Amino acid sequence: MRDYLLKQSLNAVALMIGVTLLSFSLLVYFGPDQTYSLLGKNPTPEQIASVHQQLGYDQNFAERYLDFLKRMLVLDLGYAQSSGEAVSSLLARTSMISLALLLPGFVLGHALALLLSMLSAQYQGRWPDRLISMASMVSMSTSTVVVIIALQWWLSSSGDSGWFPVRGWSTDSVIDYLRHIAMPTLALVLVSVGYHIRIYRAVICEEMGQDYVRTARAFGAGPVVVLFRHVLPNCLLPIITRVVFSVPLLLVSGSLLLESYFGIPGIGKVSFDAITNGDQPVLLAIVTFSGVALVLVQNLADALYRWVDPRLRVQT
Amino acid sequence: MSRWAAQLCWSILGTYVAIAVGVWCGLWGQNYDLAGGPKWGGISSDYWLGTNLIGQDIFARSLTSVATALQTGLMVGGLATMAGALAGACAGYWRGRWPDRILLWLMGVIDAIPFVLLAAAIAYALGAQFIAVALAMILTLWVPVARLVRAETQKLRTMPYVESAQIIGVSPVLIILRHILPNTWHLLMAQGLLVMVAALKAEVVLSFLGIGSQASVSWGVMIAESTQEVASGRFNNFLAASIPLFGLVFVLGSLADFFQSRRAGDSRASGPMQA
Repeated sequence: MRDYLLKQSLNAVALMIGVTLLSFSLLVYFGPDQTYSLLGKNPTPEQIASVHQQLGYDQNFAERYLDFLKRMLVLDLGYAQSSGEAVSSLLARTSMISLALLLPGFVLGHALALLLSMLSAQYQGRWPDRLISMASMVSMSTSTVVVIIALQWWLSSSGDSGWFPVRGWSTDSVIDYLRHIAMPTLALVLVSVGYHIRIYRAVICEEMGQDYVRTARAFGAGPVVVLFRHVLPNCLLPIITRVVFSVPLLLVSGSLLLESYFGIPGIGKVSFDAITNGDQPVLLAIVTFSGVALVLVQNLADALYRWVDPRLRVQT
Repeated sequence: MSRWAAQLCWSILGTYVAIAVGVWCGLWGQNYDLAGGPKWGGISSDYWLGTNLIGQDIFARSLTSVATALQTGLMVGGLATMAGALAGACAGYWRGRWPDRILLWLMGVIDAIPFVLLAAAIAYALGAQFIAVALAMILTLWVPVARLVRAETQKLRTMPYVESAQIIGVSPVLIILRHILPNTWHLLMAQGLLVMVAALKAEVVLSFLGIGSQASVSWGVMIAESTQEVASGRFNNFLAASIPLFGLVFVLGSLADFFQSRRAGDSRASGPMQA
């Protein structure tokens, strides 16, 4: 166990170094010169030199990288160029909104996909399976942007009931909250469910072909019992993998597109603005922290595997 | 997938290729950026699918976008698949040794940064131009290919013919190039097609973010333009971009399935990424 933890944390640290190295090189070291965005008109050479020194342009790569790491560690992320708000408070404030927006769709998407893929596996090769596979192919082939535009058009054209707002965000009451997340959630489920089904179906079908399933059936277990009691627990590992690896989708295509189209002030909207305006401090913080967060999540998932599947504890 | 369906897919893909070849040869879709028509003109004999906000021919723009899509798809698909195949074969062949460790670390790092953010960071460093987009796509999309090829190579490495080659002293590089990679052919075809799918879908998202080639036209650019138009009931631009995009992605995805189903019993391989 101790060996495992040691190995795993070394691995995580190595990945985090890689992530920070990449974001530092792209956004700071090889990024555009920030000098003139910090200076007024007609700066003197002394002012330019002092800004250069302040930004660390007179130091070498290693010194600047270490300095960057130090600042990231103490969450000294600077200030957003557009609003002047401290980046750390900006991210803390907006990530909660994104979580509230995306969590229902994330859970629903996976739950729906699991149910549909079990149905699909149960009727392998027959029409429910074909129908579900076709629907999943269509879902996979449709661009998120297209789904959102179409949904928004449908909302704004189908009589202005005002139930589901086309834009905006409010969490004043539970009803308000549900009204605002309804359409983004629908969009998220529509575009993600196809990919989930594809993977879950393959996993479940493979498991259904195992001997123990045949034995359970021979002992008279019904399809529901077989699926939920025997097959599903054995599919947990790939399912966890899938859930973990769909987090980046949630983080990025999910929040970025949904929030900018539906006008929701979450972290996706912040990223969108930072990308379109080239707001370096915000971009740097988002790229670095999403990378670090994903490394943590993936390592957590690895620990989860060992907890779920005792076989893994023996192997390593 | 049945043989009949596969043939249908191939012929639809052929139509797309023919349209693109026509654009490359200058037969049609050349005046895609000529703003000569009326603002938001309707369907007419001059403008088969109407015109956009600044009077550009939507039909011509959609045709040119076919060429853009295939150019992007082939370049990204080809390069990412080749890079992924080589890296994956090396990692799998020297499993647990330093080439494998370094490659796994690199893949872990790239997987950890969400694609759109990596693309944004690269575009920030290089400026928003086509090379930034292509680089971002290739840099992320070789990873899933490499992971699959690595797993496949581990299996192939224990095959008697590989062991025989090792015993008679064939160099590892030759073994990888001549004995291992050719046997991953179906896997590579399927992955190459899926990389193309991923590239096409990513392009739409990146165009929406304003990252990408401003000089040419693509379905992503058209969809980004149409965002405001759809709300006011103008669908020409939106439909002229999203329908052919859907068609091409659907066909490529189905063909990838076809290649995958021809490999014995492994249907778990998934799309490289989703956007």
